[in-house]
Amino acid sequence: MRHWMRTALATVALGVALTVSAEADPFKIGYLLPNPVGELGWSYELDRGGRAIAEKFGDKVEVQFVNSLGEGPDATRVMNKMAADGFNMLVLGSFGYQQDGMKLAKRYPKLSIVHIGGYMNAPNFSTLTPRHYEAAYLCGMAAGMVTKSETLGVIAAFPLPEVLNVMNAYVLGAQSTNANLKPVKVIWLNSWFDPTMEKASTESLASQGTDVVFSLFPGTPGPMAAAEQLGIYGTVTHSDNSKFAPTKHLCAGQLNFGPVMIKKVEEAMAGNFKGDDVFAGIADNAIAVAGLNKDLSDEQRALILARQDEMRAGTFKPFTGPITSNENKEAVAAGTSLDDRAIKGMNFLVKGIDTTIPK
Amino acid sequence: MMDALIFVLAGAFATATPLLFAALGELVVEKSGVLNLSVEGMMALSAAIAFMATLQSGSHLVGFVAGAASGALLSAVFAVLVLGFMANQVAAGLAVGILGLGLSALFGRAFEGATLMGLNKVAIPLLSDIPVLGRILFTQDIVVYGGIAATGLVAWFLYRTKAGLTLRVIGENPDTAHALGMRPVGVRFLAILFGGAMAGLAGAYASTVLTPLWSQDMIAGRGWIAVALVVFGTWRPGRVAVGAYLFGAVSLLGLALQAMGIGIPAQFMTCLPYVLTIVVLVAISADKVRVRLNAPAALGESYRPAS
Repeated sequence: MRHWMRTALATVALGVALTVSAEADPFKIGYLLPNPVGELGWSYELDRGGRAIAEKFGDKVEVQFVNSLGEGPDATRVMNKMAADGFNMLVLGSFGYQQDGMKLAKRYPKLSIVHIGGYMNAPNFSTLTPRHYEAAYLCGMAAGMVTKSETLGVIAAFPLPEVLNVMNAYVLGAQSTNANLKPVKVIWLNSWFDPTMEKASTESLASQGTDVVFSLFPGTPGPMAAAEQLGIYGTVTHSDNSKFAPTKHLCAGQLNFGPVMIKKVEEAMAGNFKGDDVFAGIADNAIAVAGLNKDLSDEQRALILARQDEMRAGTFKPFTGPITSNENKEAVAAGTSLDDRAIKGMNFLVKGIDTTIPK
Repeated sequence: MMDALIFVLAGAFATATPLLFAALGELVVEKSGVLNLSVEGMMALSAAIAFMATLQSGSHLVGFVAGAASGALLSAVFAVLVLGFMANQVAAGLAVGILGLGLSALFGRAFEGATLMGLNKVAIPLLSDIPVLGRILFTQDIVVYGGIAATGLVAWFLYRTKAGLTLRVIGENPDTAHALGMRPVGVRFLAILFGGAMAGLAGAYASTVLTPLWSQDMIAGRGWIAVALVVFGTWRPGRVAVGAYLFGAVSLLGLALQAMGIGIPAQFMTCLPYVLTIVVLVAISADKVRVRLNAPAALGESYRPAS
């Protein structure tokens, strides 16, 4: 009898102790990135989003960062370990983590996962994609304003929908401010990362009269540095690259993952995490134009920022018809706007782009 | 149109220069009978070291010296393995190459995202005023001219000097060379160091001049292309140089054609430099007897000095 009482008491005490310690435990987040963070660019911006979480929640969260985590066995091992160690949330910063992340989401229903990009969903697995194209439209406006040769050039990584929609928005933006634009020249690198070819592409475009080059998802600041040396304007995605092109940085689509990340963490902490597709744009403060060149007049700058405000308010959508493809087909009917699904799956180029989509 | 042509032909020299330096170094190594497959790793390591040195000192010369020294140092590790411990050359080369890639990431990471100014082009007086040709041939940076000079020097050394003859004999038959009083291990050691230093210059050019910034994996397979150029150029310096320039020109041609909006599939243009360089070099080296004459007979074989 006495023995039974003692066991019961001990159990209760242990239970109380466990509950108390569980309450004191911080909300644990694993933050996995495929590349070194560097000083700017995609990984740097993602990392900054993680730092914003840590800053916002202080002691209540514990964010563990893992950089340069190779896709494949290494990533599988690290995320399995984190899940087994009782992490509450994982942020997966690479397309190559998607499959493994989905398996974990099924095995650990209480684990919340935010995956950057991708197309898979589960109740506890959400995707997060920035609307790069919104800022690209605004940078295109700037390009249309400053070009003297009326010839724009784009250096693009791969012909994926996410690249096509950014390129289209950029060109639509340029056409909106410059009616005399010549066909836009495009170089497909077929690589996410090749500094030598990125720089040579910039030189190639410049040698053929391009005076504004758009580096669409560059792996390196190479095109911006080359543009500065060649004396042509450079436009870029992800981060303000002004330090690489102090006088020729025309415009950048500056990412800001902090606010959307914080929102997802708040959801998860409150226990109502949604496995949704977050397509975060200017309205979510996830992206904005930055590093506008001082050669733009005050009126031009005001025009661009006014458009940005319209996008924030939802009164202007870049992909609003009529839009014709460069194969002379109707891509968007007059009076309609493409929905997010169509934007994410874009498979056409707008009229005025001098290339075909490599098959 | 003309501007695009000048872009391709003038740019080819700069694009080819790292390939040329690395390939010339590897050529001398292979002529001594050693196959060093760590070129990619040596280039990567020296690209990182040279970038750091140039950034800290503000001098490209310091960067190139540091690059050459780090390439030579890494090649010394390879030399000790294959000459001292008689390790398999292929395996040792691959291992040292991976070591170089790893070290480059270790050292370079702190400098990722920093940029340098490239080298200014040097216009040769009078010659650079020739229309078109002047802009293609005589308005390059000094290292490009150095690459052309190095090609001549390596050819002269191998075929016109006694030391070059010794090196080639050792590459053909180290035992006979040893019996004749030559020192195969010593000569091979020096050849490997030379190859490392040349790969180092190649890496330094890539990170401080060609794209004046460092990022991981920036060599992007060019070390392997250099090794391939030596074989397809049948171990002749002149042909290796032709191959390197051809590769540079065709890879830029793809970019120029794309920029002109000529509808050739981009994937095709991306692989064209590899295909065309191999086809051309195989075509000019079709004479099998001459290939056999140029290929070092003892290539890749370990040599144990007779006691």
